[in-house]
Amino acid sequence: MLRSISSTCLPILHHRRIHLGHLPNSQSPIVSTLSFFNSITPDSEKIPTFRVLDGVGKPVDGAQLPEIDAQFARRLYENMQLLPTLDTVLYNVQRQGKISFHMTSHGEEATIIGSAAALELDDEVLGQYREMGVLLWRGFGIDSVMAQCFGNQDDMSGKGRQMPVHFGSPKHHFHTISSPLATQIPQAAGVGYALRRAPGRRSRSIAACFFGEGAASEGDFHAGLLLASTIPSPTLFIARNNGFAISTPSTEQFYGDGIASRGPGYGIDTVRVDGNDILAVLAAVREARKRTLEQGRAVLVEAMSYRVGHHSTSDDSFAYRQRSEVEDRKRIDNPIARFRLYMESQGWWSAADEEELKARLKADVMTAFKRAESLPRCELSELFTDVYAGEEPWNIKEQREELTGLLKKYGDTWEPWRTELAKFKNKGQDLTQSNP
Amino acid sequence: MLATRRFPSIPLASLGFPNRFQRRNSTAAEPPPAGGHLPSIATSQILRTSRERALRTPGLSWNDDEAASSIVNVGRETRKMNVYQAVRDALSIALMKNDNAVVFGEDIAFGGVFRCTMGLAEEFGRERVFNTPLTEQGIAGFAIGMALMGHTPIAEIQFADYIFPAFDQLVNEAAKIRYRSGGQYNVGGLTIRTPTMSVGHGGLYHSQSPEGFFMGASGLKIVIPRSPIQAKGLLLSAIRDPSKTVKKLKLFVVNQNLDPVIFMEPKILYRSAVEQVPIDDYALPLGRAETLVEGSDLTLLTWGTPIYHCETALHMLADPPPALAPHVPAALRSAKIELIDLRSVLPWDAAAIAESVGRTGRLVIVHEAGMTAGVGAEIAAEVQKRCFLRLAAPVKRITGWDTPVALQYEKFYIPDAVRILDGIVQTLSY
Repeated sequence: MLRSISSTCLPILHHRRIHLGHLPNSQSPIVSTLSFFNSITPDSEKIPTFRVLDGVGKPVDGAQLPEIDAQFARRLYENMQLLPTLDTVLYNVQRQGKISFHMTSHGEEATIIGSAAALELDDEVLGQYREMGVLLWRGFGIDSVMAQCFGNQDDMSGKGRQMPVHFGSPKHHFHTISSPLATQIPQAAGVGYALRRAPGRRSRSIAACFFGEGAASEGDFHAGLLLASTIPSPTLFIARNNGFAISTPSTEQFYGDGIASRGPGYGIDTVRVDGNDILAVLAAVREARKRTLEQGRAVLVEAMSYRVGHHSTSDDSFAYRQRSEVEDRKRIDNPIARFRLYMESQGWWSAADEEELKARLKADVMTAFKRAESLPRCELSELFTDVYAGEEPWNIKEQREELTGLLKKYGDTWEPWRTELAKFKNKGQDLTQSNP
Repeated sequence: MLATRRFPSIPLASLGFPNRFQRRNSTAAEPPPAGGHLPSIATSQILRTSRERALRTPGLSWNDDEAASSIVNVGRETRKMNVYQAVRDALSIALMKNDNAVVFGEDIAFGGVFRCTMGLAEEFGRERVFNTPLTEQGIAGFAIGMALMGHTPIAEIQFADYIFPAFDQLVNEAAKIRYRSGGQYNVGGLTIRTPTMSVGHGGLYHSQSPEGFFMGASGLKIVIPRSPIQAKGLLLSAIRDPSKTVKKLKLFVVNQNLDPVIFMEPKILYRSAVEQVPIDDYALPLGRAETLVEGSDLTLLTWGTPIYHCETALHMLADPPPALAPHVPAALRSAKIELIDLRSVLPWDAAAIAESVGRTGRLVIVHEAGMTAGVGAEIAAEVQKRCFLRLAAPVKRITGWDTPVALQYEKFYIPDAVRILDGIVQTLSY
């Protein structure tokens, strides 16, 4: 959808001014010409996209590559490749009914790993749900990923309470994912403000908040950016514009120039970056992070990408987009291939490396999968814990006792419960053998 | 004296159920596929799977263009539909008969994540059936604006778990507009559809039953259908353009709806509940409960998905499987349980419930939401006021626990058939 710019919509920056002073309580210059504006760029151009590598991994003219060495590049690449390796297994495992749900990162590997690599390891991350790569970069581990997705006794993210991919780890400064969209955005402003007030983290740590271009339609997006700019909070907002909110294309999500156009409305530094170019993402987020810290105020990055996978395992995207469109994007603009070609051109990567890496990652993932599959869930009594941390209210206590009584009565005789109890650590005996 | 009330011995066949138990309760299944299914629903006696039973649906009134034929069942056709097809059928009728009706929400243009709007954009055009940006408060506010102008917005909130950003618009605006404007403005044309309740693997944010949060919002109506026939008829009543029904006021008083409705569709039933659904335009009454099984010893009240768990529990009470038999005293097996579908949670049919409990002396309420301040609390309070001297046992609530809905623990969170059976036995033997 292209917007026509009428002659009365000249960009404000180029408007010829006759100086008539200012309004009393404003720096807004008074003018005598009636003119509307509908762009923040000269000549009503679209906001540009920052890129350093072209589609085949060659530096574009004038590109300033971020400083990385072979070892760092290999680490970037290995984490990029780990994402689809995990995604493929988890997707298939879901199809086999062994886990209830999965969401892949296909197509967004550069955005996620590039951002993760540009942040400090203890920057506080508030994700949406498609940012598993940040945790992988921070050393969360494949076993922890599997434990969460299988909801087994090793699931430290949420004790099996949440759907798969709802990770969380204070150790890795990754706040627990919540399914409702955009709720993390104003929270990230608060996290940033707290960092600013925390001795030892002030001027050192930022909050980094991920969300999709669809979530940016929620009121919470506007609240979050407004707060982090007005009540200055060192919070970096990273919009993953992957073109789709489930089935809704971004052309039906907003009429304006993407998410980036909104940053100046809140008075914050903003950049749009090619989200499929990991070095551009790395450079942009490094600079954005620096500004967030220096200004102690919000900064916005819009990473342009394409959701190659379905929204989730509950979605079949070919009901609303052509299979060929997806195949074309995979072929023409593959973030992993682009970086591999660059690495090869630097002599940092070879076909043998590729083969070794893929075999190793697959073996690691399969080992973790088999381990996760064999472990029981947490104890059933965890159903009632963590609602309150303080004194347990009477209703929770009585309801746990009620379930305990029911389990004693029917746990062995009611087949659906008997089968289900077998899946829990201690098979419900933590309740039935307890002495309240 | 009333506390010692006992019931006469009744032959099993009078319960109206076949005396056999091939069926297994939903909790017997492994996690169902996305979209879900419940084995017990496939064989439910409550579902009207023949044309004859469908056309005899209690309270059904035809919305014919020619009023003369509106009470005749002869020549009416039915078609096999599940709940999402019945919802789609109702939307199609609403769009066809009322040019002011529009359907919108997140992802609805391609058919919606639960397929309720399949083909409607192609049939009625994108001006009337359209995707919205991802903003529940925006969707509700936009719908209220259209309704203020006398239009008939039918908006979808993708999951009831995500209705809370719209809470302000619904509770402070939609519910109060008629009152605050002295009756000058209203949003009677507003309908908000939203999928609700658990599927067995939804976890915290795809399983909730938030109807109770709206109970204090006088001015709103809350409706929850149990089946395809109910979904179509109740949704058409919720949507029905006030100006159109007013014209037919004399004939169709019961169809008239002048108030905003939140229509919550139990999402596990979208595919699993199948009935023969009349293909004509018809209405079912809002604000009216429906008695599904008549009885005299205990009133079992619920709405939405748990209706089918209740049905299973009644089978188990009458003829417990051997493993459960020791927990079901023989004297109780012939008890006549009255099963009622509340259907409208707000306003709720207190007269019907009080009448039933007045006869049975016992009330068990089942809902998936947590106990505290759930809909059951309000009903229990009103019933004890109206039926105090007739109650033979405390009103019992069988509900979700006062915890979030935890994924791996869901089968012990959602009230299932055995919990309902146990609650009935406890209440009968109080």
